[in-house]
Amino acid sequence: MKVTVAQIAPRLGDLEKNFQIHKEILEKAKKEKSDLVVFPELSLTGYSLQDLVPEIALSVDNNHYFSEFKKISKDISFIIGFVEEKESGIFYNSAAFFSQGEIVHLHRKVFLPNYGIFEEARFFARGNNFEVARSNIGKVGILICRDFLHFPTPYLLFVGGAEIIVVISNSPVRGVSDNDYYESARLWECQGENVARLLTSFVIYCNRVGFEEGLGFGGGSFIYNPFGKLLRKASYIDEEVFTQEIDFNETRSARIVATYKRDDNPHLILRELKRIVERSKEE
Amino acid sequence: MIKINCELVKKILVRFIRDELQKFGFYRGIIGLSGGLDSTVCCYLAKEALGKENVVALILPYKDLNMKDVEDAKEIAEKLGISYKIIDISPMIDIYFEKYPTENKILIGNKMARERMAILYDHSARENALVIGTSNKSELLLGYGTIHGDLAWAISPFGDLYKTQILQLAQYLGIPEKIIKKTPSAGLWQDQTDEGEIGIKYSEIDEILYQLIDRRKSPQELISLGYGKEKVNRIVSLIRISQFKRKMPPIAKISLRTVGLDFLYSRDWYK
Repeated sequence: MKVTVAQIAPRLGDLEKNFQIHKEILEKAKKEKSDLVVFPELSLTGYSLQDLVPEIALSVDNNHYFSEFKKISKDISFIIGFVEEKESGIFYNSAAFFSQGEIVHLHRKVFLPNYGIFEEARFFARGNNFEVARSNIGKVGILICRDFLHFPTPYLLFVGGAEIIVVISNSPVRGVSDNDYYESARLWECQGENVARLLTSFVIYCNRVGFEEGLGFGGGSFIYNPFGKLLRKASYIDEEVFTQEIDFNETRSARIVATYKRDDNPHLILRELKRIVERSKEE
Repeated sequence: MIKINCELVKKILVRFIRDELQKFGFYRGIIGLSGGLDSTVCCYLAKEALGKENVVALILPYKDLNMKDVEDAKEIAEKLGISYKIIDISPMIDIYFEKYPTENKILIGNKMARERMAILYDHSARENALVIGTSNKSELLLGYGTIHGDLAWAISPFGDLYKTQILQLAQYLGIPEKIIKKTPSAGLWQDQTDEGEIGIKYSEIDEILYQLIDRRKSPQELISLGYGKEKVNRIVSLIRISQFKRKMPPIAKISLRTVGLDFLYSRDWYK
């Protein structure tokens, strides 16, 4: 199976322009016989939206971009990021998974960063679940940016049967020191490698690039295989669209070698979690 | 020293300069080149980002106050192959102070910085080039700059790099040794030096700023770690009294939606 990771620089608030960027990349990926194309978080809108949120929000059932996307998805599957207006006046930072002419899965970002340079909870409502998509290309869990950095979330996808974890992100460059990476990139790479290895799953991470009001998005998108081996990594800072062959049988091999999935005990985890949470409530 | 990966920083800044100019429909940048470290490094990066034909340097001397620097600035511009213009600001400054005399050299220095700003912005429109500021993080945090003078710019590539980090970048870019070895100075009067005016060396200033700002240490923690109490307190006080230079001026809220308060659109809106 071939996966295309589109490390792009969307134009802030310009749906039409960003839609064209998506379309061009999808057409190219189709020619390369790619099976899945992953775009970054908020790929259709850009990141620093603030009061633009209500102006560029899309209702899933009623917008011409999605009608176009559905048509394109008859030939190729893909995941995009956008602002979703689920009910009137309620907005989510969402990901849509298009496949076989339909939206097969929607994920609404749960963990909205709201500190320092981030103010997502000021503009977005919070999603409330971590479902796994069952698609023609396999069982795919989708996380949006900070969702991936909260420890239990990849595990929930693992229990839910995910074999591919797709993380779409808008992570800005922070903490340049004398290392050959910047601090915030390391965060994603460490978590990516660990999750892939310990949850014996593919991890596909797609970050964006480009500047918005001085904030530079770092790129450095990557794919780890279920053995925790880095298959591909895009450059920092610049646009890059790459297509990588992944061997789906590796999930099986990895789960034979490292039996984390077989030995997992979600019932015990659930029971213990419940006990601990109840106890801390009493304290 | 707070070390940086110069290759990565260069990559980020080159992309920043190019992106933030082009978004606003500009392909050219204009820089006030003093012949000092920061403006020289800035010209090197702007050339890399925009191409030599798209960088304009303005050399803006007052009388014969920094003759040596003017010579160096010319040399840098010629070496980089960027176009430059020398405009003597003496007539504009002198005519003003003839009418409104003062002995206060800070007033004179501020006026000079603002005259340079006015010329840069005039040439910004003439040259179709945006003003690239050269102030660094050390200066911004200490408030070491003239509001509406050298603190006026369209974009600021160095606002998040300490002086000692610009120095590393200069070495990495192969900037001539004589520029690197210069004593940092705003050049507003004879024998003015940054470190003399602030009273602390940049190596110490940057270390204390880094601990306070980047690492979020408290002044008390720094003092207990052995940083000089007077130096720490002086730096903390300079940061506090200069906050107004780092923020847009306040707007009185009257209506339901107010520019600067809850009319929240990024500068890069539809860019």
